[in-house]
Amino acid sequence: MTVKAFSAEWADAFKDEVNKSTAYKAAGKGWKWTVGLVVEAEPDKHFAESRGIVMDLFDGEARDIKVGPAADAQKCDFVITAPYSRWKQVATKELDATKGMLQGKLKLKGDLPTIVRYTKASQEMTECTTRIPVEWPDEATS
Amino acid sequence: MARRSDKLKPEPKKEGLVDYANDEPSAFASMLGGLIEANVKSRIEKRKDFSTLVARVGIWVNDIDEGVTLDFKGTGGWLTVHNGLVPNRTLTIRTDAETVMSLSNLKIGVFGLPIYYDEVGRGVAAKLLSGKLKIDGLLPNVMTLNAVTRIFSVQ
Repeated sequence: MTVKAFSAEWADAFKDEVNKSTAYKAAGKGWKWTVGLVVEAEPDKHFAESRGIVMDLFDGEARDIKVGPAADAQKCDFVITAPYSRWKQVATKELDATKGMLQGKLKLKGDLPTIVRYTKASQEMTECTTRIPVEWPDEATS
Repeated sequence: MARRSDKLKPEPKKEGLVDYANDEPSAFASMLGGLIEANVKSRIEKRKDFSTLVARVGIWVNDIDEGVTLDFKGTGGWLTVHNGLVPNRTLTIRTDAETVMSLSNLKIGVFGLPIYYDEVGRGVAAKLLSGKLKIDGLLPNVMTLNAVTRIFSVQ
């Protein structure tokens, strides 16, 4: 089922994908921090308000993933920020998240050694987003 | 698109462990500098290497077409990070973004030597053998590479 990008339904689908992933379960072992994704508004792309995705990840499991205000995501232990169209590029495999971070296209806040230690887990999380059929606001016909 | 200034600072300030040679460090320079600083601050075993290492190490990431030079100055522990490759490098590592991440995930074994027999290590060794990881200046500077790997490793 197609879900609207970065909506509550998308968050549920993302959580399901993460918890279905055996690769994430293995790579995320030992992870115990919250991750916030800030999706910055791009009104010209019909994404009018910034949103925050708060991910409660623990030991290879997604305990909860919620969409809310950007400020909520900014309070997480690790925060990755990018405009809507960059996140769309990540979710459609146009942009590799690791390269995006090295290039500053995705801005990362948090303890770098920890996030580097879990590179494989973050790559698999990105893979999970690519498996969700998404309706993108800038592609919507009506 | 805004362009990054490549203007060099007249004299880097010695604040903390890491300094940046350029007024506007690239995202890659900030990430590597930040990674090394956090690593050295939190792991006492890395401080000895960091405080004594004198070497200029270039890292060029082929698939993002960007690089940095890590100028380890010894003198009790001081690193200057340059945007791009600057001359007189001891070692230059050329590879893709994924392998840079793997290099920082190499485990360190007995005698402080990087482990190349686990999954990450085998991956790095395979890239080296296949030419996807190139290290200019490797043979005369193996000890330097090992010291850099120890400082760089988050494991």
